[in-house]
Amino acid sequence: MKRRGFTGLAAIGAVATFALAACGGGGSSSGGGGGTSSAAFNAAVTGVVNPSNHKGGTISFGLSSTPDSTDPGNTYYAFMWNFTRLYTMPLMTYKSCPGKCGLQVVPDLATAPGVVSNNGLTWTYHIKPNVKFEDGTTVTSQDVKYAIERTFDRTLFPLGPSYYPLLLGGNASTYPGPFKDRSKNLMGLTAIATPNATTVVFHLAKPFADFNYVAAIPQSAPVPPNKDTGANYQLHPISTGPYKFQSYQLNKQLTLVPNTFWNPATDPNAKQLASKITVTMNMNANDIDNRLLAGDLSVDMAGSGVQAAARAKILSSPSLKAQADDPVSGFLWFAYLNTVVKPMNNVYCRRAIEYAANKVNQQTAYGGPFAGGAIASTVAPPNVIGYKKFDLYEALTKPQGDVAKAKAELKLCGQPNGFTTGIAYRSDRPKEVAAATALQQALSQVGIKTTLHGYPAGTYYANFAGVPKYVHQHDLGILFGGWAPDWPDGYGFFDFISAGNTIGAAGNTNIEELNDPVVNNDLNKFASVTNASVRNSYTSKIDMQIMKDAGILPEVYAKSLLYRSPKLTNVYVQPYYGMYNYAVLGTK
Amino acid sequence: MVTFIVRRLIATVFLLIVVSMITFAIFFLIPRLAGQTPYQLATQYVGRNPTRSAVLQIETKLGLNEPIYVQYGRFLRGLVFGEHYNAGTSTTYCPPPCFGYSFKTQQPVWPQMVSDMPVTASLAAGGAILWLIGGVTIGVISALRRGTLFDRFSMGLALAGVSLPIFFTGLISLELFSYKWPIFPNVTYVSLTTNPLLWARNLVLPWITLAFLYAALYARLTRAGMLETMGEDYIRTARAKGLPERTVIVRHGLRAALTPIITIFGMDLGALLGGAVLTETTFSLHGLGLFTILAIQNQDLPEILGVTMLAAFFIVIANLAVDVLYAVVDPRVRK
Repeated sequence: MKRRGFTGLAAIGAVATFALAACGGGGSSSGGGGGTSSAAFNAAVTGVVNPSNHKGGTISFGLSSTPDSTDPGNTYYAFMWNFTRLYTMPLMTYKSCPGKCGLQVVPDLATAPGVVSNNGLTWTYHIKPNVKFEDGTTVTSQDVKYAIERTFDRTLFPLGPSYYPLLLGGNASTYPGPFKDRSKNLMGLTAIATPNATTVVFHLAKPFADFNYVAAIPQSAPVPPNKDTGANYQLHPISTGPYKFQSYQLNKQLTLVPNTFWNPATDPNAKQLASKITVTMNMNANDIDNRLLAGDLSVDMAGSGVQAAARAKILSSPSLKAQADDPVSGFLWFAYLNTVVKPMNNVYCRRAIEYAANKVNQQTAYGGPFAGGAIASTVAPPNVIGYKKFDLYEALTKPQGDVAKAKAELKLCGQPNGFTTGIAYRSDRPKEVAAATALQQALSQVGIKTTLHGYPAGTYYANFAGVPKYVHQHDLGILFGGWAPDWPDGYGFFDFISAGNTIGAAGNTNIEELNDPVVNNDLNKFASVTNASVRNSYTSKIDMQIMKDAGILPEVYAKSLLYRSPKLTNVYVQPYYGMYNYAVLGTK
Repeated sequence: MVTFIVRRLIATVFLLIVVSMITFAIFFLIPRLAGQTPYQLATQYVGRNPTRSAVLQIETKLGLNEPIYVQYGRFLRGLVFGEHYNAGTSTTYCPPPCFGYSFKTQQPVWPQMVSDMPVTASLAAGGAILWLIGGVTIGVISALRRGTLFDRFSMGLALAGVSLPIFFTGLISLELFSYKWPIFPNVTYVSLTTNPLLWARNLVLPWITLAFLYAALYARLTRAGMLETMGEDYIRTARAKGLPERTVIVRHGLRAALTPIITIFGMDLGALLGGAVLTETTFSLHGLGLFTILAIQNQDLPEILGVTMLAAFFIVIANLAVDVLYAVVDPRVRK
């Protein structure tokens, strides 16, 4: 991310203790977290269903696509970040517990959250001394450093996030990775120091208070240099987690078996219950659903919910519905309201769109209340730390739109009879096409005439929506999109999409081109505050300001209807992932 | 005959080169003509919100910034001489025919296709046997019992088979025989050498689904061919000579009616060997069809190029086999 600098982020104190003060429930160190629930609809959203320490059995995952990579240094898919916890231990992780408790970032390989220096530039982690790789060798700080160094070689690992090259100081901006590095022992990244076998020190270019979240990305999971096989490491990553690779046919079938060198005492956020875990990839999505319902499959790995046919079956059968959950996924579907394209550069014109949009039709377009999501009135979804509910444009009280208020805003905008603008969307995404069409109809009620511009999803951001010059030239005032943050606090959510200094000529993520000093200032302050509750209070302030600016038209907080196999134990939704926590599952 | 086969094989090589050029142009040249820059092309192969440096590294690595003819030349060179690939910790050699390395998985394309071939071959072979035997038998009986209840029923069924898409019949068969009455549960490919019984059991539904579509077509073709043939003078002559009816039907009638069947069978089988896309997708079988779908979804150009050429190869070879079989079945061709 961050084409911007990280100015003013005086990262002080242990940032790991975030807004959520107390973890709910028993806070079982074995991952129990919240209370237990019997089988009922949404039971696994707030509690643990079928808590058990029963060992044995096979958990079978089905996946309708393929992972981007099974290499922890080269993956960006949410379900893979969830799944890698079965065979990796990054420095930090998310606490295994249901409900908001699961948003807490806690130490995993590290003994404690990172200790930041007074100037916010140095983060120090001590790693647990008795964690072993699957071959019995002890994990050292050099293995962590090497794991991060190798991700700098973007020719081999192009798919993971880019936080380390952007955040670290020293030679991070030019470091080519260990395979091209000529330094002795391939340890040439000067921004990471390893003063002893259990200490790893990160030297940042600028203070960055959210660094513990960055350390929770699988890229910090240790890799032994002598076992690294580069581009082929994905075929057998060396495990530090409860399971290890037994076999992997690339993009077809993966089998994990227990890692005998895994010590549960060092990894309280994962369990080793099943005697085997299998993943079948590239399955037909409907086949996955049917096998789940038939009991032949344990989990839909993608965690994005069942297909329409299975959804109808589940929702019409009380017994099946009792085995389902409908959590908020953390994803927001919305439309950017561009603040530069005329007459959308006038806030009243943008507010007219906020009022005129028929949110019920938008929700229907995205799949309805179960598969699409809940009508959104804020930019931040409810599972962002510091979220506060508000409804500036009556999205919840008048979800079918308020024509009178929209027309009043149009008058203030100087366009009493409406105006003309373009709507951009991804033409190969039926839900987005339906949403764009629905918005076009709703806006026509108040005289806003729109032209639809569909683009292929693969190049939507790279060539069209993310290129301000193109947006301006084609009068694209409304641009559909979706967003989920890399970590669940307000900074992680808003910085990319609303900070003024993220506006770029290409690959722009602040597509509404909002450059509001209030938002920018609050984002800067966000990370500089040490007190967790004060810090996270900026989430709703920024949210409110973006909505006042009408830079974003929220549509739905995405939801997915998940089917919970009755054979599984310890089932609950980890709110950060918006899917079941794969690290603790067992089977009866 | 040998000269004929050699000549056709040489023509095959040229044909494959033309196919590779067209495919290369479609996926490498047209995006450029449409205005996409190498940088924009490279963004498809990096993760979310990449740095500019990361995109440029990928652009260089994949050679997207080079002229098209250089990229094509490198592809051809790899195909003929193999290619070395830097995997970071080591350099691996991809022997010919090297179709390059996947832009997404960074693994050589050819071994991946080879590992998928048995699935597609199993599916195509089993399905082909079923539809050939079933289709031809029904067609012959229908022709001989023209206008009977059997004829009407089988031709009605054939019409349904041709009309219903595989993803419909496949899903219905799965719903009935895998989920509701689990006679064939967990349809997953198991290799023939691992467990022949499980291999066959798990492929029964895909075979039947595939055969249902093709058998219908073959039944109608055979029926039409047989009706025409059985009305020929030489059939009457054969009967007048006192030949047994079975000999008349099989040796004289069916043999002549089979000629167009062989033509279409060769084409169908060749096309299927390149990937039974719908059947493999419906039954989650990891064959060349599913490989093709994934390659296109990922815009993985080396994989797209590889599977296209392989499919073209199978079709060309199947045509060659058909031409040879013509000579065996139809004595007129030998003259």
